[in-house]
Amino acid sequence: MVKEVYFFTEMGYTAYPQDQARQRGYNNLMFPNEHFSPERAQELYSMYFDELQYCSESGFDGVMINEHHNNPLCMMPSVNVIGSILSRITKKGRIVFLGNVLPIHDNPLRVAEEIAMIDILSGGRVVCGFVRGIGQESIATNTNPVYNRERFDEAHNLIVKAWTTPGPFRWEGRHYDYRVVNPWVKPLQKPHPPIWIPGVASPESVRWAAEHRYPYIALAPPLDLIEEIYDLYDQVATAQGYTPTAEQRGYAIRVSVADTDEQAYEEGRNFYWQLGTSFGVTPRHWQAPPGYISREASQGQREQRRTAAANITPGGPVLDYEQAQATYQIVTGDPDTVIQKLKHIIDLVDPGYMIFWGREGPMSHKVAMRAIDRMTKEVIPAVKAYQADREKGRQSRVSG
Amino acid sequence: MTTAGSHTETFVEVADVRLQLRQGGTGEPLLLLHGELGVPGWLRAYELLAEHFTVYVPSLPGFGQSARPDWIMSVRDLAAWVTWFVRDLQLPQPLNVIGCSLGGWIAAEIATFNAALFKKIVLVGAAGLKPEVGEVWDYFVHAPREAFTQAFYDPEHVPEYIKYYEKSQTPEEEIQVENNREMASRLFWKPYMRSHTLPALLRGIATPTLLVWGREDAIIPLNVCQLYQRAIPGATAKILESCGHMPELEKPTEFVQVVLDFLIAP
Repeated sequence: MVKEVYFFTEMGYTAYPQDQARQRGYNNLMFPNEHFSPERAQELYSMYFDELQYCSESGFDGVMINEHHNNPLCMMPSVNVIGSILSRITKKGRIVFLGNVLPIHDNPLRVAEEIAMIDILSGGRVVCGFVRGIGQESIATNTNPVYNRERFDEAHNLIVKAWTTPGPFRWEGRHYDYRVVNPWVKPLQKPHPPIWIPGVASPESVRWAAEHRYPYIALAPPLDLIEEIYDLYDQVATAQGYTPTAEQRGYAIRVSVADTDEQAYEEGRNFYWQLGTSFGVTPRHWQAPPGYISREASQGQREQRRTAAANITPGGPVLDYEQAQATYQIVTGDPDTVIQKLKHIIDLVDPGYMIFWGREGPMSHKVAMRAIDRMTKEVIPAVKAYQADREKGRQSRVSG
Repeated sequence: MTTAGSHTETFVEVADVRLQLRQGGTGEPLLLLHGELGVPGWLRAYELLAEHFTVYVPSLPGFGQSARPDWIMSVRDLAAWVTWFVRDLQLPQPLNVIGCSLGGWIAAEIATFNAALFKKIVLVGAAGLKPEVGEVWDYFVHAPREAFTQAFYDPEHVPEYIKYYEKSQTPEEEIQVENNREMASRLFWKPYMRSHTLPALLRGIATPTLLVWGREDAIIPLNVCQLYQRAIPGATAKILESCGHMPELEKPTEFVQVVLDFLIAP
């Protein structure tokens, strides 16, 4: 059953000139930052933080936050900065970092220290996710994409060891070297904050999460990828000698709730605010810099579908609004309709955690707040009360 | 082994690497170190050089269909490996070398630490130094195909551009292009296409060196040719007109002529 439901927004910088981006054919990485207005960003930050605070207080079990770089998609350049603010302006609810982009850090111990501090400030409310970053962030941060996965692995191992092994100790690895690992500030939660791994279906990430017994959080994948993702997780878990539970499955989905189906359908278009896509427009060679995607993954049909699903490839298949609804990458409707659609997902996935990507783009504050109320008062209670249909769902597949 | 015309293409185990090796001609050995875009085939220039030398064109580790050892992480690592290649193939030393772009950088690195390996060095549009004016064109923010047009001055009139780069690629060719990009990224993502120490090391080169540059090189600006010439004692330079970053493909006849003048002249 769904144990907890979180709220998410990318905190988009919605004020950039879309016509300029359309002319260039991309809206990130090298899209000129002269189009950024700090004054406009100040207004947007205020609005987004008000909404996140309200979610934490009004019925969500917390909020999910993330980070991106060189990208109007997301005004969170440091997930730890966002998280530290939330740790003080909210009093309850988990703060789900999905997550720290490990490979871009030359000093990953700083991530260990910052997360530890935020865990203390928040009273142990941190869920710590780790990510590889999207491809273009290797370029934005000038981190060699060839070593992205190696650095991710090593930084993770170092951080976990720093949290769990008494210091001081030495670390001499392939990408990181320390004479002294001995961070003074350590997390409140023991042995450390829960670690979750989000992804858009890269098979290596699913496998890696399962090997470490970390929950895998599927980020709004198309419906036809779901079974592959969690079947792979189950296979790896079986090989490791354990049976995954719902608490190892998370699911993030774009949700637009309004008073009527028609109204929600129209408001859901806000997810497609970036040149008619929901994740911006990026040339393929930025999205997949050298070595960033493994040969196995890049030649798989899965990768092709993932790329299409991510809706980010110019000239490639662009997922239109209707298709996104048909593949459940976005669900819209009045509360009853949305509940029915989410039950279908729950039948298939049986997730322990759901994340409602609940506001996006030029959606007004008023509309966002009304949607949040609908979610907390009607959708979340129904979702949490729902037992996955054993005949249709994952539970029957696992037990069968 | 495949044989086409005067050359062979084989896979050999050399210096701990399963290597794709093209070879043609007879006589004194001539080692050709390719650039970051790899070797598209047995080029016209190789054919012309093979009339005078035994020309060896290995696909360097990680490029083309050659295996990629994990330990090669820098151009200097690769330079060390090239010396093993010469040793294990039992090529007589010293031998002549032509290094194109990345290959030029490798040849220069070797010459700074091993004066016995090379008889004469030809550096063609060589990477490795930061331009005084302008920037080295950045492969990694551009699409793979853009690199091919950027590397030529007048691609539409270059037979080997049309032959190798203009057509749509097979899936196997696309994989090779991706392999080449990945290996290039391993070697010189940061600092990009240059070494911090090479400028100081070049003054130790005691081997006769010719620099060949396309005047319209839009990958590595012509002023890098002057930097090399100033740094390597006694180096001479030949500039080819109406020519881009790959003279060996764009102007094969003129290119081979200036190379022969240098290698064969007393």
